[in-house]
Amino acid sequence: MPDFSLSPEQESLRDLARKFARTEMAPHAAECDRTARFPEEIYRKAFELGLMNLNVPTEYGGSGLGVLDQCLIVEELAYACGGMTTSIIANCLALEPILLGGTPEQKERFLKPFCADYQFASFALTEPSGGSDAGALRTRARREGDHYVLDGEKCFITNAPHASLYTVFATVDPALRHKGVTAFVVPRTTEGVTPGKDEEKMGHRASSTGTVRFDGARVPAANRLGGEGDGFSLAMRTLDQTRTPIGSLATGIAQAALDHAAAYALKRHSFGKPIAEHQAIQIKLANMAQSIHAARLLTWHAAWKIDRGERGTLESSIAKCFASDAALHVADEALQTFGGYGYMKEYPVEKLLRDAKLTQIYEGANEIQRSVIARELLRSYE
Amino acid sequence: MEIVVCVKPVPEGETRLRASADGASLDPEAVKFVLAGYDESAVEQALLLKESLPGSKVHAVSLGPAPRTEEVLRAAIALGCDAATWVDSGPAASPDPIDVARALAAALAPLPHDLVLLGKQAGDDEEGLVPAALAEFLGVPDVGHVVDLRWDAGRSRFTFRRAVEAGQETWEAPAPLVVALQQAWNDPRTAKLPAILKSRKVPIARVPPVALVPGVGRSQSVRFELPPPRSGARLVDFQTPEQAAEKLVKLLREEAKVFP
Amino acid sequence: MTERVLVVGELLTDRLSGSTVEAIGAGARLAGGASSVVGFLAGATARSRAPEFGRYGVTEVAILEDPACEGAPVAALVTAVVAAATELGTETILLAGTSFGRDLAGRLAARWGATAATGVTEITRVGSTLELRRPVFGGRATETRRIEGGRAVLALRPHAFPSATEAPCETRLRPIVAPAVPELLRAAHRTGLEASPGGAGPGLAEAAVVVSGGRGLRAPENFRLVEELAAALGAAVGASRAVTDAGWRPSSLQVGQTGKAVSPQLYIAVGISGAIQHLVGMMSSRVIVAINSDASAPIFKVADYGVVGDLFQILPALTNEVRRVRGQ
Repeated sequence: MPDFSLSPEQESLRDLARKFARTEMAPHAAECDRTARFPEEIYRKAFELGLMNLNVPTEYGGSGLGVLDQCLIVEELAYACGGMTTSIIANCLALEPILLGGTPEQKERFLKPFCADYQFASFALTEPSGGSDAGALRTRARREGDHYVLDGEKCFITNAPHASLYTVFATVDPALRHKGVTAFVVPRTTEGVTPGKDEEKMGHRASSTGTVRFDGARVPAANRLGGEGDGFSLAMRTLDQTRTPIGSLATGIAQAALDHAAAYALKRHSFGKPIAEHQAIQIKLANMAQSIHAARLLTWHAAWKIDRGERGTLESSIAKCFASDAALHVADEALQTFGGYGYMKEYPVEKLLRDAKLTQIYEGANEIQRSVIARELLRSYE
Repeated sequence: MEIVVCVKPVPEGETRLRASADGASLDPEAVKFVLAGYDESAVEQALLLKESLPGSKVHAVSLGPAPRTEEVLRAAIALGCDAATWVDSGPAASPDPIDVARALAAALAPLPHDLVLLGKQAGDDEEGLVPAALAEFLGVPDVGHVVDLRWDAGRSRFTFRRAVEAGQETWEAPAPLVVALQQAWNDPRTAKLPAILKSRKVPIARVPPVALVPGVGRSQSVRFELPPPRSGARLVDFQTPEQAAEKLVKLLREEAKVFP
Repeated sequence: MTERVLVVGELLTDRLSGSTVEAIGAGARLAGGASSVVGFLAGATARSRAPEFGRYGVTEVAILEDPACEGAPVAALVTAVVAAATELGTETILLAGTSFGRDLAGRLAARWGATAATGVTEITRVGSTLELRRPVFGGRATETRRIEGGRAVLALRPHAFPSATEAPCETRLRPIVAPAVPELLRAAHRTGLEASPGGAGPGLAEAAVVVSGGRGLRAPENFRLVEELAAALGAAVGASRAVTDAGWRPSSLQVGQTGKAVSPQLYIAVGISGAIQHLVGMMSSRVIVAINSDASAPIFKVADYGVVGDLFQILPALTNEVRRVRGQ
């Protein structure tokens, strides 16, 4: 029998995240969105409370949480601000390749000092010429003695302008396609590493996104994660772990949208009664609630599978894809419920719509998720 | 210094309140109970003292039913308390406050206590009776409405301020002492995630249930009522500020009859 | 025989506190007449001030002329009150619900073998059963507690009961000889007193009218607009947490969950949006007036009267109008 109850421990983790989200993040969400400010003071507090390196085992200074625990936290944070949440959890994505592919020595060397202080790491996979087609990377890694020399450019990298560490995916030979992809841990201080400026974004404006250029950056071979050609698989296994919390991030945004819409519908009157008493609005609210409920359960289920040690590729793709589509739809319906007010920046729902959109795009665009789902699905019929 | 801090699980600040089926008390179903307000300040005060006096220990004590009481004690441990004792009240809905103090005193008496800290009242019933009654049962002095409590090691005395109607009083007292804290003058810390996880593993001593049965000379809640929803303010309409002032004063004098 | 009710008096510098006069009124109704109320006063001036009880028809006052009662823990006072209650054979003690009464109630009940309640707004007696009503959850709900027989110590919420009517009479003094209080219980003592700034006005908790200012005042120097209105009304000044956190005014003025709870006859909230943390500190006020430029501020939901407008214009006009009407 499935058991959907959370343990007291999980409840208290969720309480911590909720309190932090509502007292520290929410009051600044609108301002950071308006001015595209990267609120370091909030991120620093998140780090101090242990909300930043959630997936890193405690022996390396992280919080050592499973995926379901992470999902509970991420949904609460995203309820207050999707953009801040993206920046807070970006370390999980960036450090996961080290957790999955690093040797004990590498974990000790990279994770311990990293987690001891407030700092950011970035997962550098996407390139200007392509994101989803990870086999077609152009960033080159040439071996020179006990070093590799990296040349190329990564783009749309979360927290790149602020990061002190990058996990970089480069190819030792483009002709090898997937089989040439190799992962490296690259400190920002490496000569030839140049983070670009912050991009101006539609949503997630409290987060920071930018390019990183590598111009003859010499990286010790000891910083290579796994062997040459192991990078593609490492990236995919990383995304299997981190995709589900993105579903929770989307769920948090959707829940915020529904809460705003329902509260507004109860107090806004038309035709002599609260609009919540009009069936047209009730249907909207009911559909929004259904989508959110399904999204949450899908993420919990995927997380549960992964925490049991299964790969969960199908389930996490379904969860991420469904939840992010749901978030966009729910935010859209919430905005519609607000009518003209919803379109105004003074009200909080248009931000939710802009923030929701990104969840369909990043950490594997939903088109890729669907192709993964179809592939996994069809495999079971073969 | 051996510090005991008494805490109480209370409904989270914005919880929607509802009467129980018999109408006698708050319906605890669907209420989230937390360590809140005054108690957070009391724990913070205890931890500040502990941090300033090496070798100190903070022992959290709470009386109430399962599971909420154990949960607030875990929250106190996650914040930095060293140990916890749970006085299981059984499911009593609204025990007599003096009985509560008596039961707490019985649980607390065997623990070393140079200082017993409490919030001056709980955020739910707002009785504020337990601190002084507890002190009486323990046979130690108590002071209420305290802010900014410090230990003057040179003179072996607590020094503190009391915020009362007339202003701020400065006081001093030796240990042992029961102190009821006035308000969140300190900025209570938030428990960190690793500490929350660790707090789950700390054993909590459970004192066998104490009888808190109503009877002669005991008070008991018999009704819990929510006020009818306020209909919202009647807005004064006006063209000029002077007109607004005139209309408002007239309403307060003639309609509400509260103009002094 | 009628049950006698003991009312423990709280002395301000120049008079019995207003809350004590309310307690005398409540006691008179509970006991079926002021003549069944016995007063209690302690302190160096107890004897000279006891006749103030007589203004309200109280014919007997128990006194403890012990200057050590002032600036000491309530333990000494408790011993004397218990001695008086025992001598008089009363089962009910009423106290003002100010910090004085609230400090006293718990220890008194524990010592006397009584139960107790604070913040009481209604008392009814049916036979030997007392029923009390008291606001809980910062005024968001009301609780009724029943005490079936036995001794009770009740601290009354300020302004919940009408003041006793004046009916001057002679008062008999009954000096109380209290047993010695153990040294340990006397060990805590006051070393200084710093009157509140605004200490000239009534205390926040006891004031009949409170004017509170919030963030809407925009700058500390504008807070005088609130103080001027309060002065014109003879009101106490309060503040929202935003104001005290920002250091515009001391935290002793903070009204709310983490500050003081007030329940005046009239509460005027100026430039306060009405966060739940503030509301729970003032929601049980009898009449609430909100002045705010934001019509959607939650304070308007709990207020009885609202003025939506620029407080920088409304406030001076209101202060002038109050002065005019009160003939200042």
